[in-house]
Amino acid sequence: MGTIIETNNLRAYYITKAYGVERTVKAVDDITLRIQEGEVYGIAGESGCGKSTLLRILLGAYQPPLTVVGGEVIYHLDGEEMNAADMSEEQQRDLKWRTISYIPQGSMHVLNPVRRIRDTFHDFISAHRDVTKKESFNITGEYLRDLGLPEKVMASYPHQLSGGMRQRVTIALATILWPKLIFADEPTTALDVVVQRGVIQMLKDVQQKEGSTLVLITHDIGVHANLADRIGILYAGKLVEEADAKTILENPRHPYTRYLIESLPSLDSREERLAIPGRPPALDRPPSGCRFHERCPLAQEVCKTVEPNLIEIEPKHFTACHVVEEELNVAV
Amino acid sequence: MNLLRTYILPRILQWALVIFVGISATFLIPRLSPINPVDEMIGRMTAFASIDPHAVVSMRESAMALFGLEGTLLEQYGRFWARLLEGDLGVSFGNFPRPVSDIIAAGLPWSVGLLTTTIIISWTIGVFLGALAGYFHNRRWSQFLERFVVMVYPVPYLITALVLFIIFGAWLQIFPIMGGSRGEPALTWKYISTVLYFGFLPALSIIIGAIAFRFIMAKALTTTEIANDYVQYAELAAVPKRKIILFYVARNTMLPQVTDLALAFGAIFEGALITEILFAYPGLGFVLYNAIYNADYNIIMGIALLSIVGVATAMLIIDLLYPVLDPRVRLR
Repeated sequence: MGTIIETNNLRAYYITKAYGVERTVKAVDDITLRIQEGEVYGIAGESGCGKSTLLRILLGAYQPPLTVVGGEVIYHLDGEEMNAADMSEEQQRDLKWRTISYIPQGSMHVLNPVRRIRDTFHDFISAHRDVTKKESFNITGEYLRDLGLPEKVMASYPHQLSGGMRQRVTIALATILWPKLIFADEPTTALDVVVQRGVIQMLKDVQQKEGSTLVLITHDIGVHANLADRIGILYAGKLVEEADAKTILENPRHPYTRYLIESLPSLDSREERLAIPGRPPALDRPPSGCRFHERCPLAQEVCKTVEPNLIEIEPKHFTACHVVEEELNVAV
Repeated sequence: MNLLRTYILPRILQWALVIFVGISATFLIPRLSPINPVDEMIGRMTAFASIDPHAVVSMRESAMALFGLEGTLLEQYGRFWARLLEGDLGVSFGNFPRPVSDIIAAGLPWSVGLLTTTIIISWTIGVFLGALAGYFHNRRWSQFLERFVVMVYPVPYLITALVLFIIFGAWLQIFPIMGGSRGEPALTWKYISTVLYFGFLPALSIIIGAIAFRFIMAKALTTTEIANDYVQYAELAAVPKRKIILFYVARNTMLPQVTDLALAFGAIFEGALITEILFAYPGLGFVLYNAIYNADYNIIMGIALLSIVGVATAMLIIDLLYPVLDPRVRLR
């Protein structure tokens, strides 16, 4: 299993200029990722930490004011190495849906309200394959049956479907051409728990059927626990911890990750959960040093001035924290 | 059938009710006026010549009977409906013995021909260009087009028409400046070509402003439409632009546009007042203008009745078409 997509020191800022005042929001700052073929990679973090921005860059679907100011995104597809920055619009279009696909956030409105589901499927399929309407109806019908969706949704309009059904149809629409790489942005948000479970199961099915790679973005650690093989934790535009899902859930090392995991409710204990003190920093003027130091109970003098590096504290477990690093040095 | 009972029938009843109320109002309003048209007429006749008072009294009586102004208001109302249902709109005061229905029937084809053509042409071009300019709002040609239209739009209709009239009619003398056709009416190309020739300038003067209005409306609707998730998602999936513009953008802006189209058609029966006066075009607007000038109540009422029926019918048709246009409109 090789790497399917990687980023090297990726920096992407929102640069706006109004009345001569330039404002830069550092939404993605120095992120290096290696996502392996066939894995489910979860990206977690609170609102406004740059999750969706990162995804947009990975997907190659961004316009100004969002600008890549440094680093690179490299796809490894069909045995070829492609730098996203060098790809023509044509190449990007060719990759979409056949190889790279996207399940959007808030899929309540991603289906055209005046078009029957099957016609929308035909639009999406025929954009990438030479098929007649009848053929794409057949492909769609078969695929929906495979995924356990009732066939009558084909002839329905989006407003006739429930929220959960609409989300499932959207997942089917995103994966109809068996893409190798699927990005999902908050696929379960705004659904009730019972429906969430069905959607998670469906994502799992889709991913396992073809062994596709799934990059899953959500703030919901529970969903990550269910689906992800590896998890990366984002904080204020930076990757602060990365490890396999089990390690992140059971042995988180970065103080921020610990807070995240500890805040999860549990059936055994009824005590009140701790909230992370303070508020997420504004990304147009991020704190100096470690971006978490203002909210961190372990913060020391060095944290305020020096940015911590992401280091491997145990095999395949990376953390960016001065305190953890120091403990490690002492232990050695 | 359920559809007939729950959707179509109530709307037809509503249509009948609107027409009934509207016609009753047109009956009542002139009768609330302190001016008695018969006395007006007799006053005009006796102003410059002395007539035997007995003759005046008997003339007044017969005129009251002729105009349906005898008896109480309720009796008049009953007679009014009885006559109306026979298709009798009374006689013109200005062209005394000539029936109103004759005069209206003579003007009607001109107005219907002129306005149907101009409405269809301006609606189609305006919606099409507006949708394109809204979708490609970053292109130079669309920005140029929009600036041009915004410049043309505020010019009052009368000015546009007068400028065309002066340049093409009076100065260059390419087009005729009055009338609707030349020669004996017949279904020959020779006659029809004169109709087109005479109608060209009046039509052009209407179309210019109408396209500008339609363009601005279509562009505004399109601009909000392209920000919708389903449009963005289809774009991300590289669905061909032609399909996106037609089925995702334009299709969703159709509801208000078609409503407006139907209302424009309903208003045809009022004629195009300024156009027809300026170009001395023999349509309903010209008839109406002369009727107002001569206090010819029966003609004014006849045209008002026609336009009530026209607008109500247009609304009925559009109401019945809504479920076809937008699947979200429930058949209730």
